[in-house]
Amino acid sequence: MDEVQVTAHRRLKDTGLQKTVLDTTVLHQHIALSMSDILTQHSTLFIKSYGRATESTAEFRGTSPSHTQVVWNGMKINSHMLGTVDFSTIPAYFIDQANLLHGASSLTLTGGGLGGAVEMQTRPLFGQGYALQYIQGIGSFGTYDQFLRFTYGNDRWSTSTRLVYSTSDNDFKYTNYDKKVDVRDAEGHIVRSYHPTERNRSGYFDDIHALQDVYYRDDRGNRFGGMLWYTHSLRGLPFLSVDYRDNLDFKNEHRQDALRSVLSWERRFGRWNTAVRGGYVWQDIAYDYSTTREAVSTDITHSRSRSHQGYVQADADWMPTDRWLLSGNLSAYYNHVRSADKSPFHIGDNYNLGRTEYNLSLSAKWRPTERLSLSAVLREECYKRGSLNGQRGKADFVPVIPALFAEYAVWKSEKRTVRSEKNSPLTSQLYLKASVARNYRYPTMDDLYFKPGGNPDLRPERGITYDGGLEGTLVHKSFSLKANLSAFDSYITDWILWTPNAKGYWQPSNLKKVHNYGTEMMLTADVRLPHRWGLSLTANYAFTPSINRSEDLDDNDASYGKQLVYVPRHSANLSGRLSWRNWTLRYQWTFYSERFTTTSNEVSYITGRLRPYYMNDISVEKQFQWRKVHASLKAAVNNLFGSEYVTVLSRPMPGRNFEIFVEIKPQWQGKKMKNEREK
Amino acid sequence: MQRHSLYNKFMLLTALVLSAACSNSDPGTTEEEFSGTGQGVFVLCEGNFNSGNATLSYYNPETRQVENGVFQRANDRRLGDTGQSIQLHDGVAYVAMENSGIIWALDTATFRVRGQLTTGQTEHMINPRYIHFLSSEKAYVTDLYSPYITVFNPRTMGYVGSIPTGQAEAFGYNSTEQMVAWGDRVFTNCWSYSNKILVIDTRRDEVADEIVLSSWQPKSMVLDAMGKLWVITDGGYSTEEDSFSDNIPHLYRIDAETLTIELDQTLDTDEANVQLATNPAGTVLYVINNDVYRMDITASHLPVRPFIEAPRGSNGLRHYLYGIGVNPRNGEIYVADAVDYRQSGVVYRYAEDGQLLDQFRVGITPNSFAFK
Repeated sequence: MDEVQVTAHRRLKDTGLQKTVLDTTVLHQHIALSMSDILTQHSTLFIKSYGRATESTAEFRGTSPSHTQVVWNGMKINSHMLGTVDFSTIPAYFIDQANLLHGASSLTLTGGGLGGAVEMQTRPLFGQGYALQYIQGIGSFGTYDQFLRFTYGNDRWSTSTRLVYSTSDNDFKYTNYDKKVDVRDAEGHIVRSYHPTERNRSGYFDDIHALQDVYYRDDRGNRFGGMLWYTHSLRGLPFLSVDYRDNLDFKNEHRQDALRSVLSWERRFGRWNTAVRGGYVWQDIAYDYSTTREAVSTDITHSRSRSHQGYVQADADWMPTDRWLLSGNLSAYYNHVRSADKSPFHIGDNYNLGRTEYNLSLSAKWRPTERLSLSAVLREECYKRGSLNGQRGKADFVPVIPALFAEYAVWKSEKRTVRSEKNSPLTSQLYLKASVARNYRYPTMDDLYFKPGGNPDLRPERGITYDGGLEGTLVHKSFSLKANLSAFDSYITDWILWTPNAKGYWQPSNLKKVHNYGTEMMLTADVRLPHRWGLSLTANYAFTPSINRSEDLDDNDASYGKQLVYVPRHSANLSGRLSWRNWTLRYQWTFYSERFTTTSNEVSYITGRLRPYYMNDISVEKQFQWRKVHASLKAAVNNLFGSEYVTVLSRPMPGRNFEIFVEIKPQWQGKKMKNEREK
Repeated sequence: MQRHSLYNKFMLLTALVLSAACSNSDPGTTEEEFSGTGQGVFVLCEGNFNSGNATLSYYNPETRQVENGVFQRANDRRLGDTGQSIQLHDGVAYVAMENSGIIWALDTATFRVRGQLTTGQTEHMINPRYIHFLSSEKAYVTDLYSPYITVFNPRTMGYVGSIPTGQAEAFGYNSTEQMVAWGDRVFTNCWSYSNKILVIDTRRDEVADEIVLSSWQPKSMVLDAMGKLWVITDGGYSTEEDSFSDNIPHLYRIDAETLTIELDQTLDTDEANVQLATNPAGTVLYVINNDVYRMDITASHLPVRPFIEAPRGSNGLRHYLYGIGVNPRNGEIYVADAVDYRQSGVVYRYAEDGQLLDQFRVGITPNSFAFK
């Protein structure tokens, strides 16, 4: 009975949502993967990457990276300065579950996700005993990945300690098609020309991540949690493929230190679920670009920013009857940023300012009949900056954000515990889903206050989204199939765009109006075959026209009706996993259609479009289960066919590369705990 | 047993089929033959910073034909990142690619690369901005970041030496920009965080003197027929809380012989991409400050009304004028419109009397012109 109630409750909470769930089997494939790799390979999001282990941002449905809201264990972690998250700095091994909330669905989590939201969680492991895991990866280009995890969980306590240390010279060779070397004879005539092989010498990285979590639960429905995540990242920024300077003469380096922490108290009693959370984030970012030649040092860019974020939140879910779920959520953030840089356009502080943000959300979910569920969400956000030029900021209320969701079970099998029954008959479910929402994204602190350029008169970006779709599951004996199909139509107005002004620095304004529409499809199939064979396939496809509908700047502006720059119209990926006994073969195929680099989508322009992107990765793993230790050996080949490609103009990506992983899991306690669990 | 083996083979085949997917093909390599005949005009299109999408266009005013992307088409390689300036000398086009750290020497008929000077060949060049030819064997290069002016041989494209600019670092920067010659002097304006014009003695290749202006960030400079130096500043920047100077452009007339400032006019618009040019005789000054103004060099102030108004869209918004060039053969005025900086820009060609003769699309952010 309990089981059914929980399932019903969860479904009501997810009423009408377009949600992609990434679990540990996907997230923990291998330690060298960051969240940007996982999202590229297993979702319909477009990842814009400037290179291996360099900035990578995520876009839902042809929107911009700042339209993707990111929440870690309840706390928003988007940069207050830029509004974005660099997913290349998040090791996928630190995340136990990621939920991608597409379009309007993001409003059940947070406001401002005009494209969607990514929710990342760590999970407790109650009752699983001691476990220790060490993975060593050694790969091409002088890459070393180290991962250590220690977990302990009894009935009350769960703790996990994870450490990732990734380092690489990242000094890969590539044929530079953007350059050509002429070989001349004595008279200066060209004898032959060739595209040189160059090295990505300045793209090294040295990243340390540490995550500690502790959970405690009691018999009265209380659960306390604490998480602490520290990152130190030092990365060289690769030179452009069209740079003729000697990269040994230059230092071009990005350094980031971040500490994120969350404390939580969750309580379940009766028909109530409540939670109180608090958190703190400290982040220090430095960017240096300088040269020393012939004993003369010259700074080109010298940029520093330090930010503090404090956060508190209270949630309550109440199910007065099985047909109703009422929720409320109140959160407050305080962000303080000190940003300073030295560039040809500016000196000193860009700004040194605090800002408070309040969010309130109320929702009601109702199941009037067994097949139909409805949900409504209302959100209100308020922003208030600190004192600037001796003037106190005024509270700025974003208009009320409403969202409506509906879900109808066209077909639903009654047996819920079907998975546990081995020889159950065929079961299937088919849901129709629809939603409509208005959404606002408030400008970032850089947008408003950055000097020079920041525009305090910016309005919030406005979005309206309509979603409709089908979700179906089919389970028959050892076969399961899950499919999701959705169509969306969304308009964003007052889209904030930074453009260069006549003096050479950039300024934001509410310039753009964009129409995003299209479809997203997901298919997962799992089959257990005789003789211990297993096959699972996941396919994603998205069609995302993202059309500029802004008023022309002038008669020469040919960007109206054109696809936004760097947004592919089509993206697809396919992951296959084939297992036999202790062997696992994984295959990953990723595709992005061509992307335009000009707002006018000129195809005649030499660098006007980037060729479609195809990526193939493969890995083979063998597991060993000895009495005292479990181990595995894995070999991975990335970019199997050695594709020569860029995802951003003039940013070469590595060719075929290899990595070997050795995993060791001592079992000194494992047997005992396993026995206990079996009891 | 046999059945198992077949089954296993089938599963392996499935795995292989899974792995059969297409890969990205290599880009094609071709070099086009050009014969850029006629007294054409090169238009350098700066591209977007850090994108490597600068291009070079060639326009023939007689046939009104434009060829875009001629550098890449003729040489099967990219022009580079942030094209800053183009100069013609002895039938060779020299292009300074600022953020690529290279100066290209191109044949003006075939557009083929004849030589190049990279930062690695020099001791101090970082981001080359402008080139000034003293002879067929000696040229100066200014720099956005380096406290040196690089000297090279344009015939051999070999490095000759460096001239320390000797200016005190302003906030860690010392840039040099455009150059004009008067006798044995070369003047260069220091734009980034500076209010100075440096005077270089070309016989000794050293900075001999400097002119200090009342306004900050001299951006553009020309010399007229009377030996007067015209300098326009962008006035630095200024925001409510914090400022570097006052944001107001000034126009100066300076005597190149005595180095005295004879005229200092405050312009009424800020936020303008200020640029200067003269007519072929050097008797008329053109100023871009949102619109194009025309001023006789003997006049005491810039006229209030523009000579050529920046075109306006149907919504009333003014086009962004980004560069100006005057054809020394016939005085025709070329004005570049950057549109939104992320698509092909437009060049307007006007007769000397301001009448629009033609307009054509070029590359991203056209900024400078060179006339054959």
